[in-house]
This record gives sequence, C-alpha cells and structure tokens, in this order.
Amino acid sequence: MLHVDDLTVSIGGTPILKGLDLEVGPGEVHAIMGPNGSGKSTFAHALAGREGYDVEGTVTLDGADLLAMEPEDRAAAGVFMGFQYPVEIPGVNNMYFLRTALNSVRRSRGEDEISAREFLKVAQEAMDLVEMKQDFLNRSVNAGFSGGEKKRNEILQMAVMQPKLAVLDETDSGLDIDALRVVASGVNALRGPERSMIVITHYQRLLDYIKPDYVHVLVNGRIVESGDHTLALHLEEKGYADFLGEDAELTGASA
Amino acid sequence: MTVAAPTWQADALEQLASLALPTKRDEAWRYSPHAKLSQLTFGPAAALDEVPSDVEAQIPVLDGPRLVLVNGVVDPGRTNLGALADGVVFCALSEAPPPAAARLQQTHESPDDAFSVINRAYGTEGALVQVSGQVDVLLHIVDVSVPGATHNASASRVVIDLAEGASATVVETRIGSGTGFGGSNVRTEITLGAEATLEHIILQDLPASQLHIGRVDVDQAASSTLRARLFNLGADYGRVAYHVHLVGEGARAELSGLYFGFGDQTLDQQITVVHEAKDCTSRQSYRGVLDDSSTGIWNGCVDVRPGADGTDSEQSNDNLLLSKTAEVNTMPRLEILADEVSCQHGATVGQLDDTALYYLRSRGIRKDEASRLLINGFADQVMDDLEHHGVRGWVTARLGHGHE
Repeated sequence: MLHVDDLTVSIGGTPILKGLDLEVGPGEVHAIMGPNGSGKSTFAHALAGREGYDVEGTVTLDGADLLAMEPEDRAAAGVFMGFQYPVEIPGVNNMYFLRTALNSVRRSRGEDEISAREFLKVAQEAMDLVEMKQDFLNRSVNAGFSGGEKKRNEILQMAVMQPKLAVLDETDSGLDIDALRVVASGVNALRGPERSMIVITHYQRLLDYIKPDYVHVLVNGRIVESGDHTLALHLEEKGYADFLGEDAELTGASA
Repeated sequence: MTVAAPTWQADALEQLASLALPTKRDEAWRYSPHAKLSQLTFGPAAALDEVPSDVEAQIPVLDGPRLVLVNGVVDPGRTNLGALADGVVFCALSEAPPPAAARLQQTHESPDDAFSVINRAYGTEGALVQVSGQVDVLLHIVDVSVPGATHNASASRVVIDLAEGASATVVETRIGSGTGFGGSNVRTEITLGAEATLEHIILQDLPASQLHIGRVDVDQAASSTLRARLFNLGADYGRVAYHVHLVGEGARAELSGLYFGFGDQTLDQQITVVHEAKDCTSRQSYRGVLDDSSTGIWNGCVDVRPGADGTDSEQSNDNLLLSKTAEVNTMPRLEILADEVSCQHGATVGQLDDTALYYLRSRGIRKDEASRLLINGFADQVMDDLEHHGVRGWVTARLGHGHE
C-alpha cells in the first residue's frame, strides 16, 4: 500500500532524513519510535506535503506518486496526518471546516458533495467516537482548545475523512491519561483492513493502547531497527542508548 | 412650506466662498486622495427624475422600517416607514414634528473642515430618529449617491436622539449607482441620554468610481452605551470619522469595524474617543484586510481629559496584507491627562499564516479556498457578537461567502 524507498529530506540545507525505507501493507499499524531530533515529525510532514522541504526518493500510495502531489491532492488520495501541534484557526467554524474538507476530497475524487443532513450524521458519529460535546463543532478550529481537545479534534477529523493512510504524529504528547484513553480508543475504532496507520511516538506508553503490528526505530534520519511490538517494550526498558551508539558512529563516519 | 435657512446653515453657505480643502498637513487627512477630493462638486439637493433601477437590489434586506435618500432627497417610492411604536419618531428631517424640529437647530461640535462645512451648507435633508422607550425593530436609513449633471456629490444629515433609558438599533447603508465620478458626504449626530443604549451600524458600499466621506459625532450621558460598527467596504475612497464624547459618568462606547480593500481602494477610519467624565469605558477594535494595491488607514485616538479618573480603554487594530503592493497606516494614539486610568493599545500587521494554510490543505482544501477560509475567519471575528442576522448575512454575502 505505502511504499517508501530511500527517502531523503533536507530543510534549509540541513539533511534530516537520510535514506528512509518503509513498506506498509493494507490494514497494518506501524509504530515509529525515536529520540528527539531523529526526524520522526519530518517524516510525517514529508508524507503530508509540507512546503519548504527538499525531498528526494520515492513515496507511493497504491502506486500513486505522493511526492509529486500538493498537500490537498495527497488528502484526496487518502493521506491524513494528525498534527503534533494542531493549528488554531480563529474565526473558522469547526463544523464548516470539516464539511469543507470532506467535500473538497469528495469533489477531487469525482464524488457528489455530501448533503447537510448526511454530514451531520457523519459528524455525530465522529463526535461520539472521541466523546465530544455538541458545542465543539460550533467553536473555531482548535482556538482556545486544551491540549487534549486539540488531539481529540484531530481524531474527529480522521473519523470524518476516513483516510487510507493515517499518519499520527506524537498524538500522545501533552495528553493526560483520560484523554490518552479516549484518543487511543478512537484510533482503534478506526482500524480496519483497508486502513493503514503510522503511529509516531517518543514513548512506549501510547503503544499500550494502540498495539502496533510493527515497530521501527528511527535514529538520525534512518530506520535502524524493526521488529514487532516487543521492540517497543525493549526500548521502554533500555531507552535508545543501544541505537544512539551506532548513530554516533554513523555521524562520525559521515563527518 | 418654506422655512428660512437656519443661521448655522446660512453661516456655512457663506463660509463656502473661502473654503480650503484639507491637505496632507492635516493629520486626519494625511493619506487621503486630495486631488480626487478636490473634484467633488456639491450643491443644493435636487431630486432625480428617475432613480436608477440597480438601486433597489443593492439595499440590504433588513426587517423594519426604512428611509431612503437619493442625492440628499427622500425617495418616497423606496421609503417605507410603516407603523411605528409610541415614543418613536423616524422620519425625514423635513417632516420632523414641531418639538423635534427645534432639536435640529442644535448641533454637536461645528467642525471647520471643508467637508463638514459643505455638509452643513447642503445637507439640508436627511433622517431623524428620536426614541423614548425601547424599539425592537431595526431602523434602516439608506443614503444613495447618483452623480448628477449639475454636481457630482451629495450631502445629507442623520440625527439620532435616544432619551433616558431608551434603546434602539439604527443601520445606515451608504451606496451609489453608476460608473461616474462622484460621492457622498454624510454627517450623523447622535445624542444618548442617561442609560440609553444604541447599536449603530454603517454599511459603506459605494461604487468603485465614487468617494464617501462620513462623520459621526456622539455625545453620551451617564451610563449610556454605544455600540458602533463600521463595515467600510466600497468606494474608491471610503472614509468614516467618529468623534465620541463620553460626557456622563460610567458611559460606555464600543467601536468596531472591518475594512476590506481591493484594487486601488483607500479605506480610511478616523476614530476619536474623548473621556470627559469619570469611570467611562471605551473599546476600539478594528480589522483590516487589504488586497491588490489597496490602502488602509486607521487613526485611533483615546483622549483622556483631566478629571476623567477611572477611565478604562482599549484599542486594537489588526491587519492582514494579502499582496506586496497593499499598504496599511495604523496609528493607535493615547493622550492621557488624568490619573488612575487603564489604557491599552496595540496594532498588528501580518500576512496569511503559512502553517494554518498547510493545515487546511492537508485536509484536502484547495489552496485558494484555504486562503479564503483564513481571510474570512480573520474578518468574521469583527461580527462575533453581532446579533442582527440580516446585517451579518449581508456582510458575509458581500464578502463572497455565507456559511451560516
């Protein structure tokens, strides 16, 4: 489904990702773990299409070349990124934003726009999923939201957009244990045979709630180790020290 | 019925002979298009034989009675005053009942700038609103400018009096017709009695070939509340100046507005709030969006006079520049001559937030539509507490969106 081959990303001349390879099959959940500064968020933004990145390599989703697409076209192709820091947009109504987003991808796919009544149903189901109250939809997008509310809003958007590939960037950061439970159960409810997920996290804690099929360790712009969920447990116990040693060597070699 | 011109009008007519137009050196007219202003020609109001057919469609559809002036003359065909509640006078100045007519002799300040003098000289007709008690309906005054053969600009006058404890909402729509050069000059004089509450809204949407000069003078008695909103959207040069005097203790003035410029428009707001009494509150909150080669001007002053202790004032002016050739001149100013005051002010000038744009695009929203969402989101915040759906609907439709 998602095929990443030798992906390199530089920002302002500084290389961040240095040849990342990843294969994600349909319905699979992959966790990407790594220390601060290893390039986890850059990988997420490279998939979503952030401007200002120098990107090389190959990224395809069901054969379609993602790197050639604008961010909005990637969304239409089925990519959804949950932001680590969801953006506050004062003055833009959350409900209107969601409906505009959904209708935009439907139009891009040559589908009819959703009716107001049908949309309300979709939105209601999504709100139930993340245990949000009705007034959530009438507020401005993320404006004045608590950290937990912002993350729940990301999962709400994911539930409405129904992506093929969800990339969740540090969805657990800044969450207390109750919010984490709500967000994780929302994500779990959205797992399915046709939906793949990449869950990016610094801590193993989230993976207690969202059990990944594969775990990858990202250090200094490369995946240095892959395994099943027991790898996360190992990291929890031992930290990244084992891999950082190797990283230091690599850095030394390239300098 | 002929009535001799009141002295102030006669004086103004006399002053016309030696009138000097404002120049760059006048702070309040510093960025105005002086050459264009000098081409405006005024004269005694004259009724048109036929009001252009595009006027009706431009008038916002608001519930409630309306009075329509075309080139400073009442247009009876488009005016519909209906049945008014007891305690409400809403009529043309020329139709003012005798007790009200006496009131028209008084004026607020008699500013000596050329366009105020012109207004006193030729703005003989206009609208009168006098309210005691509460008016639930919105009173709508429409001023239409159609450049004529004898002179290209019109003048009119609006007088609004609210008695003690009275409340009302008045909307002044200022529009025009045709593609010829011309303009309108409208003076509004507002007097609020103790504990009176007025919501006053100006919708300025003249054609791009015309100029608009508006001036609003307000005197507020103790514990009265003014909510003044300006939507300064149309005209080649659209200007509204507010002069608000908080004369009675505990008076409150909330002024807000939106200017949204395209092409070569210049949109000018001149705001002065004078705190003359103790414990008064004022808020100035304006937003500007400037595209193409448009220019915005915001000159906001809070003037705290000696003895006006306990003054609480805030000013904010936020601007969004959408093009490299758009420009804004923002001047928040404080003049404080009293003790124990709380005055805050600030101004911002920014561009569309790239991160917000990316966030919206990552949700599948096309770049142009995402920009529009952000721009409208910025502008719509001016209307957060605007309860009149008709006005809100008109503004959002005028700005090319409507999502409620």
